[in-house]
Amino acid sequence: MIYLDNAATTWPKPPQVMQALNEAMRRYGANPGRGGHSMGLAASQAVYQCRETAARMFHLDDPSGVIFTLNCTMSLNMVLKGILRNGGRVVVSSLEHNAVMRPLNALSDGEPVYDVARVVEGDDDATVENFRRCIRPSTRAIVCTHASNVFGVRLPITRLGALAAERGLLFVVDAAQTAGVFPIDMEADQIHFLCLAGHKGLYGPMGTGMLLCRGSYSLPPFIEGGTGSRSLELRQPNDLPERLESGTPNTPGICALRAGMELVMKTGVDTIAQREMRQITYLYDFLKTCDGIELYTQRPSLPISAPVLSLNIRNVPSERTAELLNRQGIAVRAGLHCAPSAHRHYGTLPGGTVRLAPSLHTTGQEIDRTCRTLWQLSKKLG
Amino acid sequence: MATFLNVSSVTNAMRGQRLLESNGIRAIVSRALEPDGTNGCGYSIRVENRDVDRAEKLIQSIGIPIRGKRAEAGEV
Repeated sequence: MIYLDNAATTWPKPPQVMQALNEAMRRYGANPGRGGHSMGLAASQAVYQCRETAARMFHLDDPSGVIFTLNCTMSLNMVLKGILRNGGRVVVSSLEHNAVMRPLNALSDGEPVYDVARVVEGDDDATVENFRRCIRPSTRAIVCTHASNVFGVRLPITRLGALAAERGLLFVVDAAQTAGVFPIDMEADQIHFLCLAGHKGLYGPMGTGMLLCRGSYSLPPFIEGGTGSRSLELRQPNDLPERLESGTPNTPGICALRAGMELVMKTGVDTIAQREMRQITYLYDFLKTCDGIELYTQRPSLPISAPVLSLNIRNVPSERTAELLNRQGIAVRAGLHCAPSAHRHYGTLPGGTVRLAPSLHTTGQEIDRTCRTLWQLSKKLG
Repeated sequence: MATFLNVSSVTNAMRGQRLLESNGIRAIVSRALEPDGTNGCGYSIRVENRDVDRAEKLIQSIGIPIRGKRAEAGEV
């Protein structure tokens, strides 16, 4: 199978990740942060090492600010429901995933608690200006995706971080699609909360996510419970990570996620970005010559795009194209990709698009075969 | 002889341990044998007595409160 559904979750997972998962099951079987016996402490060390790795990778001073979650969606829920618990609004982009839009909708009581800044592809000045115009006195934060999970369009997060800082706002970045593909520097980009999927570009197992917290803003607990610390107090401990982590963590998943991050850092984030963008650009350039294929963005390039491409075969429903590709052994994702806002922006509602996303493991031959298959399908159907 | 510096959580203990070791102080994390009676469970960082003052200052310099100290007892 040619797997090009890596924007949903990467596959295959690297051998190092599977080995770390297996080793954790065998060596770190005790509950971390609870007991004082040797295996409990070894498990605690393993979990802490993953916090250190994440802090190093994303330029966070204090590993205690690395919170393990189930996925990026959970991280975003924790942040949005925390910062808006006493009211206020946020500014979001026009390309957000439902992981942002649904919590915001749930927080809206009659009137939306968000303003939408239109992203102007290829024009960062205009995009930043649109964010600036949306800021009101009640705005608490700028919340945005680092890159669209459907169209791969990148947002200028360094400039948006500077805008947030200038206006005294929190800056929240959804890096589900970009962590492990582009360098992210929380300090330089002035990001307060970085929400991450562990199972995409970081190559960890599904069911792993992270929320990285920088600065003094104190998010309230999302769930309360046992932390292995200050157990006599019924109030949740105030220290991070315990304030935001209760109950037994996913130690095997966390150890495997660390292995994934180490692999990405060893390979080099820039190397990964260049390799995957070469493949996306190749696909784009080839498909641009096919009459029956519709593409929606400018030609992808590194400064403005992430390695994700959306397309359709003219007059063919996206789900039908995905089904036909699947019959040819090519796995892609069709439909709305949980991001109706992005599809609204690009005029691809209600049918959506076919999304192609390579990974570290995708080969040139696989991209060639995908090109040929799409060309043949477009000639036949488009 | 050694002293156990009690901190509130295993994360704080490991963060403190890393800092001490990067400053040339041998530090070992263990479960606190006598946790602060008002707060329950906790962890300790064991350091040699000669390093206690410097270790306390370093740990506190990164915002980790020390919740008590205990001299190491003889082996049972």
